[in-house]
Amino acid sequence: MSGQNYSSTDDAALVKAARRGDLGAFEELVFRHRDKIYARAFSMTRHEQDAVDLSQEAWIKGWQRLGQFQGDSSFTTWMTRICINLCLDHLRRQKKHRADSIEEMDDESGGVERQMPVVAVNPTAGLERTELRQKIDGALGQLSAEHRTVLVLHEFEDLDYKEIAKTVGCSMGTVMSRLFYARRKMAALLADLKNR
Amino acid sequence: MNTEQQLKLQAFLDGELPEGEAREILAWTQRDSAAAALLAELRNTRAAMAKAEPHLSLPESREFFWSKIEREIHRLEPGEKNAPEISFFAALRRLLLPAGALAALAVAGLILHFHGSKPVADNLADADDTTVETTLASTDATTYRDASEGTTLVWFSPAVDDSPVPSKKPTAIN
Repeated sequence: MSGQNYSSTDDAALVKAARRGDLGAFEELVFRHRDKIYARAFSMTRHEQDAVDLSQEAWIKGWQRLGQFQGDSSFTTWMTRICINLCLDHLRRQKKHRADSIEEMDDESGGVERQMPVVAVNPTAGLERTELRQKIDGALGQLSAEHRTVLVLHEFEDLDYKEIAKTVGCSMGTVMSRLFYARRKMAALLADLKNR
Repeated sequence: MNTEQQLKLQAFLDGELPEGEAREILAWTQRDSAAAALLAELRNTRAAMAKAEPHLSLPESREFFWSKIEREIHRLEPGEKNAPEISFFAALRRLLLPAGALAALAVAGLILHFHGSKPVADNLADADDTTVETTLASTDATTYRDASEGTTLVWFSPAVDDSPVPSKKPTAIN
């Protein structure tokens, strides 16, 4: 670090300084947003060490591509997109190394979730936020990577169907299908967790 | 309810349908309890996720995490981002200094080469302030010239003569 105190400097000024080669300014950005970037990597991979490595890689890519940051979105949104793309590449590589599961085959053809009974009572009603977060986290961990990715991009990143399709590299129909099954499975998992 | 209807219901919830279609779906959910139940389930799940994204902290210290990033940045682009900018004149000076030094060395070498090949006696004669005195009648001289120090060292030693010493005859002086 250059020894300068950046704690009161806003993100835009830090980005500007970092673009001029100020590593201290970039370190401050990493310090401020490292948890968010890590959390996104973890929500997609569900693997602690992979998430640490991918978030680290995202920061390095971010440094290298600072010149491309136009400021149309916030710095964190821009960094999160870099992280998401790295996670998608990682998941694609993983998929190549494993046999297709039944869940993945069901992805386009209907799946068991379509036949599941509707969860009539809201399973998360009355839960404290901390408890709700734990249950959501637990349920997310039980989804397939494909379902989880679409759900995370839609619910946490607020991307619409078209943006998700572009990011993931699939059709809008696939996005809608995956999102539907992911939500249905989440509802069933949350109901199950409540009943335990 | 078929898959297309289910996905339309979801698209309605997410605000992805054009206005006309959205009105149709709304009317459908008002008259079909199964559609209404499914819409409620999807809405509950969406609402639960919207307010409960898990909060996670990086399981490494700031210093350790940053040290890995910093090391990788330096490895990938050594000196590119952090090197201070060098002006044109500074760059030119950097280039010319070693070249000038090399040229000076070459000139000095040439001078030494031609100057140093003169006989010792000539070199001594060239030196303005040099006075050599010797009481020896017959001597050998060894010379060493150090150009960088600007000094010349001369060693004198008695000549070694293998011939028999000539007999001296006293000369009669009248």
